[in-house]
Amino acid sequence: MNRVSSVVIVALLAGLGVGATYLVQQGSASRIAEQQRENDSRHFLDLLPANSYDNHPLEHTLPLAVATLGDSTLQGGFLATRSGQPSAVLLRSQAVGYVGSIDLLIAIDVNGKLLGVKTLRQSETPGLGARIADWPNAWLTIFVGKSMNDPDDKRWALKKDQGQFDQVAGATITSRAVLNAIHDALRYFDEHRQQLLGENLHE
Amino acid sequence: MSKSSALQNSLVLAPLIGATQSWMTALGVWLMVIVVASAYGFAMAPLRPRLIPRAHLIASLVLAVTLTSCAETMAQAWSLQWHQHAGIYAGLIALQCVVLDHTGFFQQAWRDRLFLGGLFGALMLGLSVLREMLDYSGLHLAALVPGGFILLGLLIAAWQAWSRPAPKH
Repeated sequence: MNRVSSVVIVALLAGLGVGATYLVQQGSASRIAEQQRENDSRHFLDLLPANSYDNHPLEHTLPLAVATLGDSTLQGGFLATRSGQPSAVLLRSQAVGYVGSIDLLIAIDVNGKLLGVKTLRQSETPGLGARIADWPNAWLTIFVGKSMNDPDDKRWALKKDQGQFDQVAGATITSRAVLNAIHDALRYFDEHRQQLLGENLHE
Repeated sequence: MSKSSALQNSLVLAPLIGATQSWMTALGVWLMVIVVASAYGFAMAPLRPRLIPRAHLIASLVLAVTLTSCAETMAQAWSLQWHQHAGIYAGLIALQCVVLDHTGFFQQAWRDRLFLGGLFGALMLGLSVLREMLDYSGLHLAALVPGGFILLGLLIAAWQAWSRPAPKH
């Protein structure tokens, strides 16, 4: 038992430790990444009908530039296809809520009708606006099947704003932000339909 | 209760409350504790007599951290979802190893160590099954961390009331 042997042992341990950790990390990195992808797709894609796609939409990113649409920001998009034909577009949109930003995933079918909306991230008031994050979400389903012109522009609003949609009780600003973001996304889809589905439409 | 065993017991409290929301988490954390602590004990045994006291703590830290991070990475590869629930408690195992070594746990007879490991497992699994059953039967507080504390407190109180000999007057 002396100082030198102690130092040698600690140095050896440290070297072995770094080596072992590095090897284990290298060995499992690909499996961990694969599981991360699976988790993400489970989390992202449950707003699409189960049989409506057969590709891995999250790996099929649409070449979109970040764009400001009315009151929301478009942050990216994915394409879902079935037998090589586009079946839906998923748009990632960010709206400004009552407390902070709200990240939404908006699924639109090839005819411009809304398939579903999911809240990915939000920081609204717990118990009020934060209920937009519940999943499945009854309030978000009132938009399913709507498109940019159905209902017309004036009715595309909360009842409080002379429109036709109910709001989340006690969360007008949150509801308005989500509604506008959905309408913006539908409008963006209609205006860029060719570009979004374009090269994939006639395969 | 001596000072060192109090330290040891209070370190057990974190996984006992935090990782017993479901029996899967509890079982996983317990298995990880057993595997990492055993590996640590095996590796440390031949080193201990060759280390001066000051180097002992450093060696112990390096070894515990290496084993814990390898086990954590492997747990992630095995099931990322499980790791998201239990990872933070699994990370504490390194600290537990160092404290156990410090309190002389690894020099105890293997029978005592086996007993303590088994007791820890029984507590983890028992508490997690109890919490899941209460949650399932409608008492959702049991699934939350404060509920875990309250439940553990009630269990300890019941245990003390039952095991304490009747006062003689």
